[in-house]
Amino acid sequence: MPKQKLTPAVRNYILRFFTAMTLYALFLIGAVWAFPRYHPAGLLAYLLAILPAIPIMAVIGIVALYVTEEQDEFQRSLLVRALLWGIGLTLAATTAWGFLEVFSLAPHLDLYLVFPLFCVFAGAANGVVRLTYR
Amino acid sequence: MKNQLRVLRAQREWSQADLAERLGISRQSVNAIETGKYDPSLPLAFKLARVFDTTIESIFSDQP
Repeated sequence: MPKQKLTPAVRNYILRFFTAMTLYALFLIGAVWAFPRYHPAGLLAYLLAILPAIPIMAVIGIVALYVTEEQDEFQRSLLVRALLWGIGLTLAATTAWGFLEVFSLAPHLDLYLVFPLFCVFAGAANGVVRLTYR
Repeated sequence: MKNQLRVLRAQREWSQADLAERLGISRQSVNAIETGKYDPSLPLAFKLARVFDTTIESIFSDQP
């Protein structure tokens, strides 16, 4: 089977994604390390706490950039379908979980877990969507 | 939508990968169009017509 060449859009996406994920790891480790040691207060505490969320927000932008830069319209359509499934499944799952929480039938779900959950759903949907075109 | 891509490719002895390279898209995309699972946009349909030096109508047909 011939090796598929990565499109420039995919190469840019991978580079940007791993840069964002590296920053995420650094910011997360930094925040977790600094909070118990320095007990920041006021605006500084808010800035430090929000720091790991910034690369995650950047990843959302990076995915959007990929969708606009990808010249292969079929590949673009597959990704958009996977993202829509990911969004739909995440909204459905977190809404259901929220009501279970309200009636004390499920433990509390921290909101920072919503994005990884979306990634899992979108990733699984990406696999399923691609399988349908085999 | 029905298409003549397989025939046109065979006439030129091009593989799906060859056609994909000429179009600047992936082999999977060519396969999806060829098997009728994906209908290309008008710009891509024009590109296909140019690559095969023919018209869009002679490649694609909406008749069963």
